[in-house]
Amino acid sequence: MLCSSLLRMARKSGTAADRRLAFEREALPHLDAVYSAALRLARNPDDANDLTQETILRAYRFFDQFTAGTNCRAWLLTILYNIFRNAWHRGEREQPASTPEEFAGEIEAQSRDADQSRINPEALLLSRVAGRRIELALNALPAEFREALILVDVQELNYQEVATVLDAPLGTIKSRVSRGRALMRKALCRLDQARGKTGT
Amino acid sequence: MDCREYISEYLAGHADGELAPLARRAADEHVSGCPICRAQLIEERALKAIVRQSVALAKAPAELKSRIRGALDEADRRAAAPWTARLTEFLAPFRALGSRISEPLVWAPAGIAAVIAIAILAAIAVPRRGLIAPPPVPEFELAISRFQQFQHDFVPNVPAEAYENQTGAVYAWVINRDPVHRVADEADSDAFNDLARSFRSANLPDDLFDFAQAGYTITGGRVDQLPDGRPIAYTLYEGAAGEIVSLCFYDPTMAAPIGAVNWLGLRSFYQYKGYSICLSFYPTGHFISILITRMPVMQLMRDVAAADPSGISR
Ligand SMILES: [Zn+2]
Repeated sequence: MLCSSLLRMARKSGTAADRRLAFEREALPHLDAVYSAALRLARNPDDANDLTQETILRAYRFFDQFTAGTNCRAWLLTILYNIFRNAWHRGEREQPASTPEEFAGEIEAQSRDADQSRINPEALLLSRVAGRRIELALNALPAEFREALILVDVQELNYQEVATVLDAPLGTIKSRVSRGRALMRKALCRLDQARGKTGT
Repeated sequence: MDCREYISEYLAGHADGELAPLARRAADEHVSGCPICRAQLIEERALKAIVRQSVALAKAPAELKSRIRGALDEADRRAAAPWTARLTEFLAPFRALGSRISEPLVWAPAGIAAVIAIAILAAIAVPRRGLIAPPPVPEFELAISRFQQFQHDFVPNVPAEAYENQTGAVYAWVINRDPVHRVADEADSDAFNDLARSFRSANLPDDLFDFAQAGYTITGGRVDQLPDGRPIAYTLYEGAAGEIVSLCFYDPTMAAPIGAVNWLGLRSFYQYKGYSICLSFYPTGHFISILITRMPVMQLMRDVAAADPSGISR
């Protein structure tokens, strides 16, 4: 693997430029993933920016502790969640937040940008209709289930990595994924039924 | 392995490729002989795919990218500086504290001075303020402000006929202030249905929590409008242990915040700023329900589990 051999090289030779290069190759491709997770946690773009920057800087400082060949995205998300948890437990809850509407608008605008670069307009329209239902069903999930599902299905981490990121036992993650999907199916079913009833 | 066991223990891990070899063989065997579970597995994989498709990763703003590159450059620059320069930089805020502390250091050998300086700095260092504050939840803030308001000033306004006389004047009925005007006590069974009807006619969900079993009585209900015009239903319950206020309104964008202490089905329970909160999502219609109380969260969970009006908990 190019990245891990680069990393080993950087450690051996140890020059600052090599280290920076290895970090950029290994960690920065996951910047969007980190930012997306930060946006979900912080719920407003300013805090998401700060959270992302703090995560990347801390990762850079402790880059020597990253095990080459393991999932760098999972490692970065673990750092991100740690920073977030620490801030949360400090009990600073007094800052004004964006309203849910602003937040939803933000997320939508962001994902629209991301969508458009990937898929054609027709697929975009189709996925928007389905996507709206999925978002609704996901939003209705208790947060712990939703986090687990997003880390598995969207961030594509394995259960062990999710357990590390969320600082929870592996068995807990297994049951959250399983129960989360069951709840999603139930919610989607009900959304379908409602649609049938009202004809929309 | 029977179907029940497959669905509850294996299905998710099977779809995620997370089963150990032996379990995987057993799961493969079951689905190859069971069309129902095979369909479930296909559905589970489809659900994964559609979640992945619909929840696109957001793109980091260009401005953030350049900010991060700048910060990395800065980190490199600091790391490259000779150690004396780093020490100078490190001590700069310390020097600013004044001569009282720095003077004795002048007389100490440089190495010891550095050690002492670092020790003092560590001792006086104020923990850095968190970079990000955990997000307050506007819906919970609303619930708290209403709960506080209703503690000393709750005037029910539904059902209208119960609080109006023939001339249409509304009885001023304020909890804990003017018990003479209480109307709900003797008509509890009716209060429930009357309120449900009132909420229904305001286009709000009519499945109230029935906390009667848990020892609460409904003291009254209100239908108001939020500043943006959305209708909102309030129900106040009183029991020996304390009050519960229920809020129900249309909110298509809310997602359950991180940090629930427990959950029952689609209900999440929170401890938030000294209150216990139960947040529920109606499976249809984009309504949410918030129950708020000062009672311990375990108490609220027990009461909700006993009262569940719509089966969301199940
Ligand atoms: Zn089966």
